[in-house]
Amino acid sequence: MTGNVAAVFLFEWRRALTLPRMAWWALLAAFPAFIIALIRFTALSSPPRDLWAGTLYALVPMLVSMLGTLLWATPAVSSELERRSWVYLAVRPHGGVAVLLGKYLGAVTWVVSTALVGLTMAVLIADSDDGWRLWWTMARLACLACPAYGAVYLLIGTVLPRRAMVLAVAYTLIFELVVGLIPAVVNKLTVQYRLRALLVEWCDLEIPGGRQSGALALIGDAPPWQHIVILMFLTAGLLFAATLVLRWSEFASSAETDV
Amino acid sequence: MIELRNVTKLYGRVIGVNDFTLTLEPGAYGLLGPNGSGKSTLLNLITGQLRPTLGTVRVLGESPRNNARLFRRMGYCPGSEGLYANVSGYEWVRYLLRLHGLSSQRATSAAGEALELVGMSHAMHRSIASYSRGMRQRTKLAQALAHDPELLILDEPFNGFDPVGRHELTCVLRDWIGFGKSLIFASHLLHEIESITQSFLLICGGRLLASGTAEEVHAMMAGLPNEVALRSTEPHALAALLLRERAADSVRVVDGCVTVATQHPARLYDRLPGWLAETGLEVTEMHSADESLQALFNSLMKMHRGEL
Repeated sequence: MTGNVAAVFLFEWRRALTLPRMAWWALLAAFPAFIIALIRFTALSSPPRDLWAGTLYALVPMLVSMLGTLLWATPAVSSELERRSWVYLAVRPHGGVAVLLGKYLGAVTWVVSTALVGLTMAVLIADSDDGWRLWWTMARLACLACPAYGAVYLLIGTVLPRRAMVLAVAYTLIFELVVGLIPAVVNKLTVQYRLRALLVEWCDLEIPGGRQSGALALIGDAPPWQHIVILMFLTAGLLFAATLVLRWSEFASSAETDV
Repeated sequence: MIELRNVTKLYGRVIGVNDFTLTLEPGAYGLLGPNGSGKSTLLNLITGQLRPTLGTVRVLGESPRNNARLFRRMGYCPGSEGLYANVSGYEWVRYLLRLHGLSSQRATSAAGEALELVGMSHAMHRSIASYSRGMRQRTKLAQALAHDPELLILDEPFNGFDPVGRHELTCVLRDWIGFGKSLIFASHLLHEIESITQSFLLICGGRLLASGTAEEVHAMMAGLPNEVALRSTEPHALAALLLRERAADSVRVVDGCVTVATQHPARLYDRLPGWLAETGLEVTEMHSADESLQALFNSLMKMHRGEL
């Protein structure tokens, strides 16, 4: 099984080394650096460290990690179904699950590499006094965000492969970006909540109004290790659910099979 | 080898396979049916891609659904294309073999051997995007054969082949059967299956209509109405002659073509030359209007419903 996953992972990486995909990789990596450069070279005075932290967080663990995994992990199954290549993979021993996990690993490593390169360029351009600490914080957050978002999108793409991208975008906008900012218990279900809490802890950011204010509901007061463990369990749980859904699903439809 | 008990597969309200019961011993079988008859659904059930709505499916003694052990013993060439355009045929077959659990070294040699077997060694390092349809079919067949399965399942494998390619692949499959391996070969063309095996399963409307050898199927059809189309310079006179001689149950004349329905086509074929010689009528073209497989299936469907 491990060998099968590794075979898919390597094959997907080889297939990804095409000009259009490399261009997407470069575009996504360059975007944080471009925005940071705009801020740096248009600001009248040197921006404070907290502004750099917030901006880098929005650009790398949020934008690059979310967008990258959305683009690469969501269509793991649907792309094979559309190409009608799924059946060749599914009649191999543990083929479906190996493809799912191999593609997931491929997507995560692809996006993590994008995030780290983009982050490095952005931190270098920002030239903050606390640059190294910012890099280390954002790198850790990206390494937690990519697997978690990848697992979320993989599950969405497995449950409803025909509408995967639409649902993944809807999930991101509604759940991660809106529900994640509601100061209530429900936001604890989002990946954003955990990442935000870790950002505040690891960067020592000041909470507006102090810890007694309502802003605490947006970050909680749990220790960092708890957030990390929850994110890891969430990722593993989502991947497990995706494999269960895959084993249960029938992807050979009447339209595909000529009845 | 394969056992289906009262298998029904529904796609919502559409029936893919309807109350299918079948037991096949190891050997080679042709699954014959017109387009949309349920062949692919049946193969998807046998390969575990679909779960039956009702009934049970057993292949080589096991349930095929998510069965890794069974997949190691089975090779499947589906009807759909589904190849990656930006990799070579060799890379693709090797990838599928790796996914099958073969070591890197073994996958490398097995992929090369399989592609050579299907006559693709000259083009196997080219991108699949540059392949003709026949080459893609050969590559598909190679991935099904490469891991040396006990049971090979092929869905319309000759689509896109030229006559030479068809002959070559027929030889490959005959050799395969000669090694004592099992084969299920789905097609909507009678002659394709006849060139490989004499054991038929006739399927239409999601039902198994008949099974047996080609002779048995033809024997079943004896006595059923047959249509013969005759083109003549004097079609109305010809029609009158056939009715007068009681050679036709009914006659239809359209655009110079006389279509004759008869339960005794052999008698018509025997006596027609004599009648034409006596009357001086000319027939420029004659063919069995009913020779198409669809007509055979229509008749079998009517028999199945008790209408004949």
